[in-house]
Amino acid sequence: MSSERSIVGKNFKKVDGVKLVTGRPAFTDDIHLQGMLIGKILPSTRAHARIKNIDTSKAKALPGVHAVLTYRDVPRVPHTTAGQAWPEPSPKDTYLLDSKVRFVGDRVAAVAAESRAIAEEALRLIEVEYEDLPPVLEIEQAMAPGAPVIHDEPDSTGIHDASRNIAGHIFKEIGSVDRGFREADYIFEREFRTQRQQHCPIEPHVTISWLDPDNRLVIRTSTQVPYHARRQVAQILQIPLQRVHVVKPRIGGGFGGKQEMLLEDICGALALATRRPVKIEYTREEEFYMARSRHPQILRMKMGVKRDGEIVASQLVVLATTGAYGSHATTVQGNTGSKVLPLYRAPNMRFECHVVYTNAPVAGAFRGYGCPQGFFAQESLVDEIAHELKMDPIEFRRKNMIRLGDVDELSAELGEGRRGLPRRIRSCGLPECLEQGAAAIDWERKRKAPPASNGHLRRGVGVACSMQGSGIAGIDWACAMIKLNEDGSFHLLVGASDVGAGADTVLAQIAAETLGVSLDKITVTSGDTDITPFDVGAYASSTTIISGGAVKKTAEKVRDHIVKLASKMLNVPPDNLICRDNHVVAKCGCDKSVTIADLAMHATYREKLQIIDSASHFITDSPPPFCAQFADVEVDTETGEIRVLHLVTAVDCGVPINPRQAEGQAEGAVAQSLGYGFTEEMVLDGQGRMINPSFLDYKILSSKDMPKLTTILVETEEPLGPYGAKSIGEVAINTATPAVLNAVFHATGIRFTKLPVRPEDVLRALSAKGGA
Amino acid sequence: MFDHIQAFHRPRNIQEAVRLIHDGEGAGRFLAGGTDLAVQADRSVRFLVDISKLGLNYIRPSGSGWVIGATATMAELEKSPAIRALANGILAQAAALCGSVQNRNVATLGGNLMNASPAADTATPLLALDAVVTFADAQGQRTAALAGFFSGPHGTAAGGMLLLEVEVPQPPAGARVGWSFQKLGRTQSDISLVNAAVGLGLEPDHRVKWVRIALGAVAPTPMRAPNAEALLVGRKLEPAIIDEAAAEVAREVRPISDVRASADYRRQMSAVLVKRALRECARQTGYAL
Amino acid sequence: MNTIEIGVKINGESKRWRIAPGDLLLDVLRREGYYGVKRGCESGECGACTVLLDGKAINSCVMFAAQADGCELLTIEGLAQGDTLDPIQDAFLECGAVQCGYCTPGMILNAKAFLAQQPDPSEDEVRDMLAGNLCRCTGYLKPVEAVLAAAEACRQKAKDR
Repeated sequence: MSSERSIVGKNFKKVDGVKLVTGRPAFTDDIHLQGMLIGKILPSTRAHARIKNIDTSKAKALPGVHAVLTYRDVPRVPHTTAGQAWPEPSPKDTYLLDSKVRFVGDRVAAVAAESRAIAEEALRLIEVEYEDLPPVLEIEQAMAPGAPVIHDEPDSTGIHDASRNIAGHIFKEIGSVDRGFREADYIFEREFRTQRQQHCPIEPHVTISWLDPDNRLVIRTSTQVPYHARRQVAQILQIPLQRVHVVKPRIGGGFGGKQEMLLEDICGALALATRRPVKIEYTREEEFYMARSRHPQILRMKMGVKRDGEIVASQLVVLATTGAYGSHATTVQGNTGSKVLPLYRAPNMRFECHVVYTNAPVAGAFRGYGCPQGFFAQESLVDEIAHELKMDPIEFRRKNMIRLGDVDELSAELGEGRRGLPRRIRSCGLPECLEQGAAAIDWERKRKAPPASNGHLRRGVGVACSMQGSGIAGIDWACAMIKLNEDGSFHLLVGASDVGAGADTVLAQIAAETLGVSLDKITVTSGDTDITPFDVGAYASSTTIISGGAVKKTAEKVRDHIVKLASKMLNVPPDNLICRDNHVVAKCGCDKSVTIADLAMHATYREKLQIIDSASHFITDSPPPFCAQFADVEVDTETGEIRVLHLVTAVDCGVPINPRQAEGQAEGAVAQSLGYGFTEEMVLDGQGRMINPSFLDYKILSSKDMPKLTTILVETEEPLGPYGAKSIGEVAINTATPAVLNAVFHATGIRFTKLPVRPEDVLRALSAKGGA
Repeated sequence: MFDHIQAFHRPRNIQEAVRLIHDGEGAGRFLAGGTDLAVQADRSVRFLVDISKLGLNYIRPSGSGWVIGATATMAELEKSPAIRALANGILAQAAALCGSVQNRNVATLGGNLMNASPAADTATPLLALDAVVTFADAQGQRTAALAGFFSGPHGTAAGGMLLLEVEVPQPPAGARVGWSFQKLGRTQSDISLVNAAVGLGLEPDHRVKWVRIALGAVAPTPMRAPNAEALLVGRKLEPAIIDEAAAEVAREVRPISDVRASADYRRQMSAVLVKRALRECARQTGYAL
Repeated sequence: MNTIEIGVKINGESKRWRIAPGDLLLDVLRREGYYGVKRGCESGECGACTVLLDGKAINSCVMFAAQADGCELLTIEGLAQGDTLDPIQDAFLECGAVQCGYCTPGMILNAKAFLAQQPDPSEDEVRDMLAGNLCRCTGYLKPVEAVLAAAEACRQKAKDR
């Protein structure tokens, strides 16, 4: 079947590639608007305080300042900034501007001025009198009796227990883990801790907003979620949704940080107040602590196993913090349970989680969405169990891992804020991923006898597995529209957000394959709420399977219209016609055909018919992609440095629509995972201020830091995905960290349970163990 | 961002440059590459004096040593055959690790020294090489040993004066001479959390004739380790002696804890880097330890 | 507000610009419409603002525009010849080295200057050069492959001549 495809499964160049390599103006800030003002947000310098008094008179009087907004000037509408489908499951605890600040970086005021310099000067002229409140900075302190209440306002909703700073609480059990642990021969339990990681998209958040000639509010913004942004802006600014027009240009990376309505509301408010175009562009520093980040967690993982290695009970208890506001608070942490535990079959599973507020930068969606934390814990614990049972780590996983045909009941318990749907595994290439990955790293040989230690250098290999989802079952949905132009080309209109991962290309490939035309016949317009049909946006690894599913359905409908007209033109029954190579041809017998171009011209001017159609699509499951990661490392016992020599990433993403693009996704995810494990951390001081908000002090990996990478795509056919596709956007971000740490254990016998693992942490552990 | 800067001067010669800064009474800054200046949010700066075109980017012989103009860039140092040959290339290696290629193309030796970060990569080898700096003001020129030039983090003895050139006297000659530069960072492109430059000269019987040990990022300024040096001179170079010297280095450094590393780790790594450097130097002399 | 005038030759065209003394080159370039020069960090760390100044790759966000007076500048807009892409641009597309594309102009220009000096680089040398361009999308493998492929293509073309 695959061999009959001419476009899907092939490495076509990105449809927007030429634009990008020639630096054409395609990103949000690449326009000039007459009279545009620069907007800037005044951030709080306190972690927890009431604004007793705020005097903006000097700022307003500064020549060139057109607006200064405080909480007194804007509507008070409780909302979440999380880019989620309505009704959003996150607490509605955020306000456009408020009289209370809850973290260093929280909004105090906003200005719009004729230049950046004037805007910055205006911020300096705003006089704020704070009434300091004691802050809650440590995650364990948040629920302590007598802890300061961060959300003491009466009008927020959806908070589990504001009086105890609990944004959310999750508890789900299948079977009975208490019984399971009683039945187990061995019980293993460990606590793990993870840190705050920032997305660091190379393009920081940027939004430009203006009133068009019809007085509609246009918002041109770097976002993964144009439709959610539209809805939320309308709600927050209290203007009709019909009056809001969101446009998503090329995006310079999102990774979940832009699955958020972040600047659109305040930028829109300034545009309304000044009746001028306004641009707000985060500096890199602001991007670090005034955007979003990954939820730090304390994870207590416990597994009960039989003597032979069979897991009988698995339990994960998580204490997470969402920072000062609850964006994605319950859903990220829900994933930590629902996507992680079911990787290994167990009749008894329990997941419990408290998500607490702290006076810290706000956490939100970040690639992996709760899974990197969970798989770090689970894959480390599983490695330890295998070691104790003297089983090969791969064998232990093979014995317990989820299989083709399985039904994952835990997912049914943990949906996006409501009861989910059970997940059936209809495609699973994990066994092949393990096999091929192991071969590629030379597992057998290196595991039994690591290359000879060279003095202070120790070698080891490790493995880790993960799965993710493809879209949110029953909630994520998309619509596509396709129209035929008179020259035989097509316009594909999708609400889907290409944030750089190549969605436009993948969707165009699906359309072209289905329509039987070459890829260059497809022009894509995406992410414009006036023009393109609805799409929840680029998150949850949904674009290929959900938006792609909508594209396929739409293309089939359009193909049917084409075939119907061709049938009339050629006098051949429709079921004898096939679309292929930009033609409609008779399948058998007669030599009749017509080019799509001729048919289109005929349709437009003779039939007076626009061939156009649309289709909406969602699925009631979330077929997981699978990943097996192998790491070959060298530990320098004198410096504690961990040198990753080789990383093998074997991924089952179903049928890869564009294999080279899929590889690129895996390679980028692995780089972010290595940063998560070893170099990245948002460090806060005792006053809740981030002390390293720059690339100088917050280290993401460069080309010199990367190990040798081998990416293997294991192909399976997913029945629920267009052409058998699942997803690949996130799954590979979960595994590099635990695979490397498992290799470090193999090399040194030391288990690390706290991220990031820095050389000095390794050195300290080596000394504690008794020297190199 | 720099709206407070009101003038950009391009002086025709050094005298004009120093006079402009002198007359500015603290409001002016010398500008060479700009990579440090453009990042600092110092709103007291009112004007810039561009010294990048005053012909101070030379690398030329001086007596039996070399003199390097203050505006020679890291890239020029990295690629210069003379600097690559000098002391087995420790200064060239340090320059090559001074940030990205985009930074190295414009960042200057003078800028690196005048910024006076305790971690300045070029300062460490220059200290090991007993470099001498010349700086100028309206009154004239002064020369000072690099040792003692740094007064603290981001502070130098030059004050508002213009750094003109750095002289590197000819390193000690001999058949058994080795030089090594070592650097540790959190990633491959990072400010040093520790760096070390070591020079070693051995007698035919492997006794240490002379040794120089310099370290960066482990004290308020780049430093030499005189106690460790003294410990080594005259002793036969053996693993045990190297360990002793490294332990002495760990006692001499005064590191702080910051976002890059803890003081403890820096202390330990000082010893490790010096050990590695000494072994590397020995290897260069042909002595297999 | 004091202004000064600078003259540059940018992408082969002579231009005179009126700037404030403290203007940074990145700001002036984007103001003049060279949107391919990207703002990523404003501290010389990420390389998204890389342009070529007299043939050398520099971070325009940490250079004062006045420093570029009398110099030749090359931005990404000046690389292709009409519809004919530079071999490096071609290679980035062929190798799948472009994802979001925000770091891409900087990488391509840095590689352009590099290959002019080192037409037959090793992978390590390419990685050392690309370390000045941070990317959050690709994990760097395909960009490295693209630079090596471009080098090979250029060497082949030189041989064929």
